[in-house]
Amino acid sequence: MTVAMRRKILIIEDDRRMSDALVSGIETAGYEVAAAGTAEEGFFLVHRMQPDLLLLDLALPQRNGLEILRQIRSEAIDLRVMILTSHNTLEDRVTGLEAGADDYLGKPFSFQELRARIDALLRRFLPPQSQKPVTIGDLTLDTKTRTASRSGTRLDLTTREYDLLIYLAENRGRTVSREMLAKDVWNETSRFSPIDNVIDVQIARLRRKVDEPFEVKLLQTVRGMGFCLREPVS
Amino acid sequence: MAPLALSLRSRLTLWYVGILAALLLIYATLIFGFQYVILTRQIFHDEVQDIVTAEGLLYFDSQDNLQFRQNYYSRPQSHLLIDRLMEVQDLTGKVLYRSPTLHGMPLGGPLRDQEGETGFDQRTIRLSDGSHAMVISHVHTLQGRTMVIRLGYSLTPLRERMLQFLLLLLVAAPIALVVAGAAGQMIAARGLRPVKDMAERAEGITATNLHDRLEIKNPKDELGQLAAVFNHLLERLDLAFQQMRRFTADAAHELRTPLASIRTVSEVTLEQDSTIESYRDAVSSTLEEVARLNETINGLLLLARAEGTQPGEAQTDFSAKELVHEVLTVLGVLVEEKQITVREENESAVTNSIRAERSLVRVAIMNVLHNALKFSPSHSILTISYGYVDEKLTLTFQDQGPGIPVTDIERVFERFYTSNDRSRSSNSGTGLGLSIAKVIIDRVGGTIGFEASAVGARCCILLPSVK
Repeated sequence: MTVAMRRKILIIEDDRRMSDALVSGIETAGYEVAAAGTAEEGFFLVHRMQPDLLLLDLALPQRNGLEILRQIRSEAIDLRVMILTSHNTLEDRVTGLEAGADDYLGKPFSFQELRARIDALLRRFLPPQSQKPVTIGDLTLDTKTRTASRSGTRLDLTTREYDLLIYLAENRGRTVSREMLAKDVWNETSRFSPIDNVIDVQIARLRRKVDEPFEVKLLQTVRGMGFCLREPVS
Repeated sequence: MAPLALSLRSRLTLWYVGILAALLLIYATLIFGFQYVILTRQIFHDEVQDIVTAEGLLYFDSQDNLQFRQNYYSRPQSHLLIDRLMEVQDLTGKVLYRSPTLHGMPLGGPLRDQEGETGFDQRTIRLSDGSHAMVISHVHTLQGRTMVIRLGYSLTPLRERMLQFLLLLLVAAPIALVVAGAAGQMIAARGLRPVKDMAERAEGITATNLHDRLEIKNPKDELGQLAAVFNHLLERLDLAFQQMRRFTADAAHELRTPLASIRTVSEVTLEQDSTIESYRDAVSSTLEEVARLNETINGLLLLARAEGTQPGEAQTDFSAKELVHEVLTVLGVLVEEKQITVREENESAVTNSIRAERSLVRVAIMNVLHNALKFSPSHSILTISYGYVDEKLTLTFQDQGPGIPVTDIERVFERFYTSNDRSRSSNSGTGLGLSIAKVIIDRVGGTIGFEASAVGARCCILLPSVK
C-alpha cells in the first residue's frame, strides 16, 4: 500500500475529549482522520471526505447514530461503519448490526482493541494465510505443525498456550488487552466472569515456558493495558 | 364500546335503580291486570243480578207493547255502573223494548245464533256514539212469549278508573325510583367510604414512607382483606426498596474507591516534579483502577440482567455434567496451577437435564467454582457431587479452604461482601460473583446455599431438571 493510498477514517463522536484522543491515536497508527461532533457535520464530512471507515457514536445530540447509519446505507455509500457505544447489551449489538454496521465495540474499550479492529475492517482482502513460520527474535512459531521453539529448542506447549502465543505473535509489537484475549482466545462472551484471573495465570505459565529458561524476555506485561510480545529494545 | 366513565358508586346505584324500575314495572303490570280482571268480573256479576231483577220488571201493556216498570228503582250499588242500557228483541229480531238511556242506538245489533239460550252471554260491544259497553244476554219468557234481553253498562267509568290508576302508578313509580336512587347512592357511598379512605391513604405513600400501612378496620370483610393484601404488597416493596437503597449506597462506595485512588495518584503525580517513569506509573495505575471500575460496572449490569430474568425465559435443556466440565476447562489452568485434584462423585447417577437459561447458569457455576478454587489451598481436593432432591438436580462443591464462618453463611451472597479476613485480600475480587450466582440460580427457579461443613466450604446448588 502506497503512502498516497492512506486510508481515511471519520469519527462522529460528541464527547470532545474522547474524539481528540481517538484522532491522535488513530493518526499515530497511520490513518488520515477527521472528526465531527454532530450528526449534521458528520454527514457533511461523509460526502466531502469520502472516508473508508466511519467510527460512529450512537448517543449523539439531536440525531441518533442509528438514523445516520440507516441513511448512509439507504444512500448506498461505500463505507465501513463501526459503532462505538456504551449501550452494549446483546440486543443493542443486534440492532446496530441490523442497521448496517460492520462492527460494534462497547465503551469503554481498550484502544489496542479498537486499532486491531480498524486494521481488520480496512484490510479489505484477507492476507493469504501465512504458511511461513512466524519469528520474533529467536522465537519461531510453525503454524503448520502448531509448534513453537526458541533458539532451536522446542517448547512444550498446551493447545491453549499455543493459541495464546500465536495470537500474541500475530499482534507482535502491539499490546493486547485482557478483553481481546478473553474474546479472541477464550471465546468468552460474558462480560463478567473470573476470566481475567484465568488469563493472568495462563500468561504466567506461558512465560515460564517461553521466557524463563532464556536470557531475552519476549513476553512483557504492560501495566494497566495488557501483554505484548516483542523483542526488548536494547 | 368504551365503558361509561362512571364511579363505582354511581354504577352500583344505577344498577340498583334499574333493577328496581324493572321490578316496579312488572309489579304494576300485574296489579293493573289483576285489578282489571277483578273489576270486570264484578261488573259481570252485578249485571247478572241486575238482569234477573230487570226481568221481573218487564210487562206488556194494553197495546201489547213491552214496558219496563220505572217506578221500582233498582240498580247495582256500584260507582262503575251508572246508566242501565237495555234492549229486548223477540226471536225474529224485532226490537220490543229499548231503554231511553240508549237514545235510540241499537245495543249489539241483530241476534246471534243461540244468543243467551244458556247462561248469560257476555261480550263487549261498541255503541254507535263510540263508547264501549259490557253486555250480557239472556233468553226470557214473558206471558208465553220468548224474548232475548240484552243488558249492559257503559265501560267508560271503568276505563276512567283504570286510567286514573295507571296515572297514579306512572306518577308514583318515578318518585319511588328517585327516592330509592338517592338512598342507594347514600348506601353505596357509605359502603365504599373505606375504599376512598384507603385510596387517600395509599396516595400518601411514596418511596420515602413505604413503611406506612393501610388501616384494617375489619380483617374479616372484603375491604379488610383488600387492605391486608395491599399491606403485604407494601411490605415486599418496602423490603425491596431498602435492599435497593443499601445496594445503591454500596455500589457508590465500590465505585468511589477506585475513583479516589485515581484522583490521589494523579494529583500527587502532577504536584511533584516527576520523571517520565513516575508519570507512566501514574497512568498505568489509573488504567488498572479503570479496569476495576469497569469490572464492577459489568458485574452490576449482569446483576441487573439476571434480576430482570423471569423464571421460564429462554430456557433450554442441557446436561449439568457437560456444563460443569466446560467451566472446569475454562478454569483448568487455575486447577493446574494450584495442583488441585478435582474429584467428581455420582456423576453417572445424574441423567436428567437442567432446564434453564444456559448462559446465565454457566456464569453462576463459573463464579461458584472460581470462588471454590480461589480459596482452595495448593494440593487440596475439590469434590463436585451430583444428585437429586425432590426432582431437582443438586450440584455440590466442597473445597478444603478456610471455609465460611457460620454467621456469614447467608451474608456471603450479599453484594460486595468480602470476608473480613484481610490475609485473604490477595483473593479479593469485585465481591459480586456470589451475589450474581445467587440471583441467577433464584431466577431460574433453583436454590443456592452454603452448608455447614467440617472442613472447607460446601456450596449446594439445586436446579430445576427434566427427564
